[in-house]
Amino acid sequence: MTAVLVVAAFTAAYVLIATERIHRVTAALFGAAAMVVLGVVDTQVAFFSEETGVDWNVIFLLLGMMVIVSVIKQTGVFDYVAIWAAKRARGRPFAVMVLLVLITAVASALLDNVTTVLLIAPVTLLLCDRLGLPPVPFLIAEALASNIGGAATLIGDPPNIIIASRAGLSFNDFVINLAPIVVILMVVFIGMCRLLFRHAFQYDEERVASVMALNERDMIRDRRLLIRSGVVLAAVMVGFVAHSALHIEPSLVALLGAGTLVAVSDLDPPQFLEEVEWPTLVFFMGLFIMVGALVEVGVIARLGEMVTNAVGERFFLASSVLLWGSALLSGIVDNIPYVTTMTPLVQGLVDSGNGSPQADALWWALALGADLGGNSTAVGASANVVIIGIAARNGHPISFWHFTKYGVVVAVVTIAISWPYLWLRYYAFGG
Amino acid sequence: MRARELARAMPTVAVDTDAMQAAQLMAAERLPGLIVCREDGRPYTILPGSQVLRFLIPTYIQDDPRLARAFDEKASDEMVGKLARRTVHDLLPKPQDVDELPVVDGDATTVEVAAVMARMHSPLVAVVAGERVLGAITVGRLLSHLLSATSPQR
Repeated sequence: MTAVLVVAAFTAAYVLIATERIHRVTAALFGAAAMVVLGVVDTQVAFFSEETGVDWNVIFLLLGMMVIVSVIKQTGVFDYVAIWAAKRARGRPFAVMVLLVLITAVASALLDNVTTVLLIAPVTLLLCDRLGLPPVPFLIAEALASNIGGAATLIGDPPNIIIASRAGLSFNDFVINLAPIVVILMVVFIGMCRLLFRHAFQYDEERVASVMALNERDMIRDRRLLIRSGVVLAAVMVGFVAHSALHIEPSLVALLGAGTLVAVSDLDPPQFLEEVEWPTLVFFMGLFIMVGALVEVGVIARLGEMVTNAVGERFFLASSVLLWGSALLSGIVDNIPYVTTMTPLVQGLVDSGNGSPQADALWWALALGADLGGNSTAVGASANVVIIGIAARNGHPISFWHFTKYGVVVAVVTIAISWPYLWLRYYAFGG
Repeated sequence: MRARELARAMPTVAVDTDAMQAAQLMAAERLPGLIVCREDGRPYTILPGSQVLRFLIPTYIQDDPRLARAFDEKASDEMVGKLARRTVHDLLPKPQDVDELPVVDGDATTVEVAAVMARMHSPLVAVVAGERVLGAITVGRLLSHLLSATSPQR
């Protein structure tokens, strides 16, 4: 009976999150509170259990990266790079879009995609204003690029952070398995931008001259902090790459990096905490407790058993269903709650493969499906929601369907390319 | 001193007044804002000069004023061009909170006038008698009065 009530409470909270009838943070906290009231969750289950509790590695990795981004933002480096890119592209609209999209994708892989779009969007609006270009296509292209680029690394997209922590995968595992396909997808995506946004590329010689006259160095606000931030960020990247050898979790690498940056900068707490999205962190905690309750009452174990029996040894079939199914569902609900729910199930499937590469590849199918599927609708990924919010605040509203008509094409094409990649890499030649 | 004694006659505009004309009036008369009246002459709200700037300056620059470095004089001319074919209504903050107006009665004390200005972040208040506008008090005039009242004690 308790299990039925837990599933009902979980479903109700999930529906509230998906339909956005109330704020998603409120819905997740209601869901978590329901699990406590039902007597399934206590402090041990919620805070200290590795199987059912809040995944503090995820929370503190996000917190650390958000503090790092807050400090880097104070340097003005994103504004510098964007103006440098526009000048480098000689103001030609498509070239400007390509460079902005590449900057967004790379920064999303190295920082995280939500904060990246928060930093790149204002300067994109500025460049479009100065070049007389419609900003909406550029902003949509950046949101889509951030979700593709973020798929390349452990820290690039929140679903990857959750998968890495729950599956015990390293930073290098993500780079080795996902970065190659992300490079291919970015090349294809740039080609698609040329077609999808072809009406946005109007060239105005006079306006271009005014942009060429800008001095990108004026955008750097604190040169000393910029150098220090660069050194610390490089050290953090080295820490991520070497975290397995150093036996230190990525969350601690990020926190140490954040702490070092705070120590070497003269910033006050409101400044170095500026980009910390507390609602997102609380949302994650609520979700972890909700999913932990499902694990605690045995629902996940039973579902996992059913799925494992259904899949048997057919891991490519499971991988395909996971890739396309995750893409579909991530378009309907935010990919963060989706992946949080799916990781215990996928863990069961992977465990049934006894360490075979074919079974391990299910993690990459989940990551690619959730990350790339997030592009398919306006609410599929946090980066999309952020970009749409910034656009609206600046008088350029992007409707759900306007975003979705571009996003769904990009999602379908990128997933369709990822599918043979998974097959060729993990299944065609027996792993 | 009462508000009616501090009030000065001030030009008023209507909600459908051309935005460019309103801004030019503000500039020519060096006013911190304008009283916006309804069709029947009753005060509707105050249009502070800062609100005109909020309309002209893109939100992303208001969020991060250092990005303004990328705008030269020619670009600022283009920004002012945004006022063309707009009305005062377009400049007013949305949603309009017309329940609370920076308006005081002619018998209000200077402290009451100051309290309304502080509460509503308004650089001027309209002074009314019933539904008739007597004039307006600017923050500069109010401060001059308050400071002159305290200076002999120093």
